[in-house]
Amino acid sequence: MLPDFALLFIVLAPGLAALIAGVFQKYVTDTGAMVITTGTVGLAGILSVIQLFMFAFGGGVAEAVHTAAPAAGDHGAAVVAPVQHIITLLNWMDVGQFQADWALRVDAMSIVMMAVITGVSGLVHLYSWGYMSEDPHRARFFAYLSLFTFMMLMLVTADNFIQLFFGWEGVGLASYLLIGFWYTKAAPNSAAIKAFVTNRVGDFGLALGIMGVFVVFGSVEFEPVLSAIRENATVTPLALAEAAPIRELIVPFLGLNVPALELIGVLLFIGAMGKSAQFFLHVWLPDAMEGPTPVSALIHAATMVTAGVYLVCLVSPIYEYAPFAAGMVTLIGAVTALYAATVGMAQNDIKRVIAYSTCSQLGYMFFAAGIGAYQAAMFHLFTHAFFKALLFLGAGSVIHGMHHEQDMRRMGGVAKFMPLTYAAMMIGTIAIIGLGIPHTSFGFAGFFSKDAIIETTFAAGSNGVSFGVLAFIFGIVAALLTSFYSWRLIYMTFHGPREDSIPAEAHGHDDHAAHDDHGHDDHGHHGDPHESPLVMLIPLGLLSLGAIFAGFVFYDSFVGHHQAEFWAGAIYNAADNTVLADKYNVPEWVFWAPLFVTVTGFLIATFTYFFNRGFGAKIAASGGPLHSLFANKWYFDEIYNATFVKGTSWLGGFFWKTGDKRIIDGFGPDGVTSLVRWGSRRLSAMHTGYLYHYAFVIILAALVFGAVIFWRVGGAG
Amino acid sequence: MGNFPILTAVTFLPLAGALLIMLVQAATGSNGQDEETRGRQSLMAGLIFSAATFVASLVMLASFEVDAPGYQLVEQVSWFAGIQYKLGIDGMSLLLILLTTLLTPISLIASYGTVKHRLTEYTIAFLVLETFMIGVFCAMDLVLFYVFFEAGLIPMFIIIGVWGGADRIYASFKFFLYTLLGSLFMLAAIVFMYLQAGTSDIMVLETYAFAPEVQTWLWLAFFASFAVKLPMWPVHTWLPDAHVQAPTAGSVILAGVLLKMGGYGFLRFSLPMFPDASEFFQPMMFALSVIAIVYASLVAFRQTDMKKLIAYSSVAHMGFVTLGIFSFTEVGVQGAIFQMISHGLISGALFLIVGMVYDRVHTREIAAYGGLVNKMPIYAAIFMLFTMANVGLPGTSGFVGEILTMTGAFQASTWAAAGAALGVIFSAVYMLTLYRRTVFGPVTNPALENITDVGKKDLVTIVPLIIGTILLGVTPNLVFDITRESSLRALQMITGG
Repeated sequence: MLPDFALLFIVLAPGLAALIAGVFQKYVTDTGAMVITTGTVGLAGILSVIQLFMFAFGGGVAEAVHTAAPAAGDHGAAVVAPVQHIITLLNWMDVGQFQADWALRVDAMSIVMMAVITGVSGLVHLYSWGYMSEDPHRARFFAYLSLFTFMMLMLVTADNFIQLFFGWEGVGLASYLLIGFWYTKAAPNSAAIKAFVTNRVGDFGLALGIMGVFVVFGSVEFEPVLSAIRENATVTPLALAEAAPIRELIVPFLGLNVPALELIGVLLFIGAMGKSAQFFLHVWLPDAMEGPTPVSALIHAATMVTAGVYLVCLVSPIYEYAPFAAGMVTLIGAVTALYAATVGMAQNDIKRVIAYSTCSQLGYMFFAAGIGAYQAAMFHLFTHAFFKALLFLGAGSVIHGMHHEQDMRRMGGVAKFMPLTYAAMMIGTIAIIGLGIPHTSFGFAGFFSKDAIIETTFAAGSNGVSFGVLAFIFGIVAALLTSFYSWRLIYMTFHGPREDSIPAEAHGHDDHAAHDDHGHDDHGHHGDPHESPLVMLIPLGLLSLGAIFAGFVFYDSFVGHHQAEFWAGAIYNAADNTVLADKYNVPEWVFWAPLFVTVTGFLIATFTYFFNRGFGAKIAASGGPLHSLFANKWYFDEIYNATFVKGTSWLGGFFWKTGDKRIIDGFGPDGVTSLVRWGSRRLSAMHTGYLYHYAFVIILAALVFGAVIFWRVGGAG
Repeated sequence: MGNFPILTAVTFLPLAGALLIMLVQAATGSNGQDEETRGRQSLMAGLIFSAATFVASLVMLASFEVDAPGYQLVEQVSWFAGIQYKLGIDGMSLLLILLTTLLTPISLIASYGTVKHRLTEYTIAFLVLETFMIGVFCAMDLVLFYVFFEAGLIPMFIIIGVWGGADRIYASFKFFLYTLLGSLFMLAAIVFMYLQAGTSDIMVLETYAFAPEVQTWLWLAFFASFAVKLPMWPVHTWLPDAHVQAPTAGSVILAGVLLKMGGYGFLRFSLPMFPDASEFFQPMMFALSVIAIVYASLVAFRQTDMKKLIAYSSVAHMGFVTLGIFSFTEVGVQGAIFQMISHGLISGALFLIVGMVYDRVHTREIAAYGGLVNKMPIYAAIFMLFTMANVGLPGTSGFVGEILTMTGAFQASTWAAAGAALGVIFSAVYMLTLYRRTVFGPVTNPALENITDVGKKDLVTIVPLIIGTILLGVTPNLVFDITRESSLRALQMITGG
């Protein structure tokens, strides 16, 4: 591990840079803000990547074992205590047993995440120099990017649930601010609120899960909680239930008696569903594409949306002993993987295709975690960060070169104008479809991680893990669809003739705020596409390297023969969970199935969008029910609008107009007033005004009340 | 500090200031200056006195021993018929007094240049109100407490009724009568307690064991008063009207301090003096708290008036206070006290924020705004900060109170915790919608074309609240260390019995 000051720099410096760029932008100027943030995050990225290599290949584990004290102390040797290093900064909350620190906790999981976050973030910062060069609010943009980076780092280096929640909500804030970055327009504003609120629905679960953790374990710190589960220690809940070994503990929740670990597992997963855009709570992610494209690459592809996967893997001991909760993770993940792939096939906005693709790939990660292959989930999270960031930044390059056009129907033939972007997108596509030859070292990053998921899931299915077989089938089908929509994107965008035929709708979504003001000086709106500047191409090049080699280089460390040493206890597998070893023993056809479906998807796409250009458009035009279902995202937005959105609004109006005005005020103060006025008119002709009436009622009431009290007390005494 | 009566000094310094202003103005009444100039002078004098009170309260903070048990800085003088003039503080009262002495000068600064007529009387009303508010939090005798508690109604009634908006008469009467009605029940209970226990000394009564059936009635009588004050559903409808009509400074004090008297009362009286009844009514309090949170949040979403929206939001946020108190856990009670302090800062800031644009555009209609960020970027940033604080974003003080009160409630009732957690979703809905409608988007209302960003005066009022909100969000132990003793003592009779 790096020395403390370097770790502190990696995590805290982006926060400081954000503060300087955001609050003091008047003094540092746009360029100053860009230099400070990019320099800081870039340096943090270099340090984090070095740390990851040191950890994986440089005897990092052995070194770490020496430098970091095992946190679990002298408990049984059979239980692997995670190797971790904690730097405590400040006690945050000290309320009885509720103890939370501001701390940096570095273990294998956070080392991986730090490298992904700062690495991709550094490249996105650099890329934005080109992409946002025309925007008048660059300082604000870079401040938000660095703020996000800081929050995400706080999330993955937390040593307790409360700091995790801080990072969790903090990245939500950054995401909200960046989705709505172009704040004068309606669509980004709605998308930003939708993202924040949908995430809050997830956080409802996460917050309850954290409360559950506290009440059951009497602590919100990771290590006491997770080690209690690993050792099946007897815990004494603060309330609700008697002491029992944690794996057998039953607690009441909303009238049900449920195993404590199942309850916590399900609640935490609801939080993960929101953040990682899983089925039911996925609706915000496609809309989040209203944000600038570098944001989509960083937040809505590579890092923030994987926080849910990180959370599930972080608390792996919980899911190891919560089969129902784990089954839910598997089921939701598998359904999302397939669902999002179906929708991705029928979208025409280049960014939305990639957004649904992200959603689908996150589904893969979740069902891998659900069946117990947390290592494979983390591996896919890692490789996915490279190729998905690459795809988004490549798409951004196209959008930039096409003068803010996002509709693929109006693209085509871009390859010859943007050869480098085309090459990068090809690499990203080959990586995401997971092309590679089984049993060899030939393959792009996605091949190694996705096949690890497919194989472990098959093994889990054979071992009888719930929903394992279903996840395997969904995973294979989704792989076919992934290949199809990915190639469809390539063909529609880069191949064929230039299509300017479809009349321009309202100007493209990903439109710079300043664009209307001064536009492009050097070229007309509908001129030919142009290749992007070097600051945008360098990140594409570096991410391409990752998309090609990240899988091969890190396979052994993440999921191969050295995984136990690599993770060093940061991920826990129960004794009966052997999926990682069993993946070598699956039938031969399982190894080849992904390659087979991938090639099939490629051939279908090639047939419909390359050789028969227009065939796809015909399918779309025919308006078949299946196509309509996919193109309309299975009508989730419509259903949610008709129920939750309308319902909430109606209820608010009902409580206000009927509840407050008619009933409470009507029978309360206003009613009493008119009653008294009526009564006093009857009693006398005197009209002394409000005060008299009220005072009359008050005194009467007080007398009655006093009489009752004295009568009661007298009777009792 | 020896025997210097610091509490009396802090309590009556504002009142002394008010008297002085009155005398000076009466004495110099005929020397020819116009009313406006004289009003401004009064306001400046009032500001000096309230600032001095703030400094005095810092001295009080310095003399306070965090780890010492029981009440501190106690002053005691016999009054009449066994009733004493007795003051004293514990950690909870200390912080509520500090909140009061901080918000009063801020309110007076916010009034500068915006309140035009009868400024002298206005200043006097605020100073008198400050004395009564401080008195409520440090009175150690029930009768004295009641005097302060009731007397505080009058200046606020006048502030709303004289310097309020168009519907101020209706609103001020509704405010006055709701709260007076509640406190008359409390008066009856106080008389009864005095007769039965033979004393009205709060410290003695805390350990006096009332018979359980008596407790029930006494608890209900106090509840009537505190529930209205807090306010709890369904006796909350005075609050939106009062806020909408009150001048900005009145709203700041109302939301920032007056509502806290309800929570303070539950912790100071209901829990220690009527522990059995408190436990008996726990389910009802949970139900009312959760209803307040969910109901008020939903109603807030439909408001078209900025101040009404924030007022309903206050009702929802005070629901967390009662939720935490009646969880009878250390986490819940500490969270509740923290939530009171935090809400004092955040709601105060939100009313100031509304006031800033009201002063410029003279409307509170949300629909009249939109696109403020284009004209007022600093204002937009400050508003964003407090929007996030109000939705309980971790790192702001809003989060700490919510998570702790819910965690406390979870131990007693998972239903209550789950219901309250729904409020966390809804708060995001109404606050972000409000922010979007007022701040984001293009400028459409021509009245906003020449609007200016926040000025020095605005910054002076809001910056202390920004610092407080973030400081307490990052290091809430500053509060917990001070209130730990009070929280545990409030729970002593319950968990001990």
